[in-house]
Amino acid sequence: MESVAQRAERLTAKRARALPALAVIYFAQQASFFTAYTQPHASTDIAHFKIGAWVFLSIAMLVALVTKGFWFAPREVRDLANDETSRANRSTAMSAAYLVSTAAAIVLYVTQALAPLTVLEAIHIIVSSGLGVGLLIFGMLERKAMRG
Amino acid sequence: MAERLANRLKERRTELGLTQAELAERVGVTRKTVNTVENGIFTPSATLAIKLSQALGLNVEQLFWIER
Repeated sequence: MESVAQRAERLTAKRARALPALAVIYFAQQASFFTAYTQPHASTDIAHFKIGAWVFLSIAMLVALVTKGFWFAPREVRDLANDETSRANRSTAMSAAYLVSTAAAIVLYVTQALAPLTVLEAIHIIVSSGLGVGLLIFGMLERKAMRG
Repeated sequence: MAERLANRLKERRTELGLTQAELAERVGVTRKTVNTVENGIFTPSATLAIKLSQALGLNVEQLFWIER
């Protein structure tokens, strides 16, 4: 039978593999969103569906980044899977996410005279860039830590 | 001048015939944390440093030191 340590080890390895992949999927979704985005505030079913999908995915990514995760695992496994290194890696990733979001906001503020954006578009870019980078960095740090 | 926390974790662990996973289980962390501390990637908290030194039968100063 799998011990608590073995289970925590297996789950953290799985998380380290999944997070960069999730970040890539998230960025790909943003690329797809903006490639097909032609009419700001278009009130069509497709636009609503896309915005709904983005909101759902963003909340899922945010939860993956800021919580311990592994909700169906016992508490001791969750605590072990989020030991000192994971907490430090998460903290580094969240700092990076904050910096990237702030930088994105500044860039949008400066360039808005050249390329005007709606509030929704600006929020979309700021949130997506921060969350995506945060997830990517957390995943990369976790993978680096796993390497022997 | 740059300072870093050096350690003889790997050397001592090997002397005692422990794997990273076994040492990790003794101190209540994952193998990943032991691995990052051994490789100098992660600086452990004082609590973890004490737990590691106790598990390896050394004083903290024998296990960790500052390299300049």
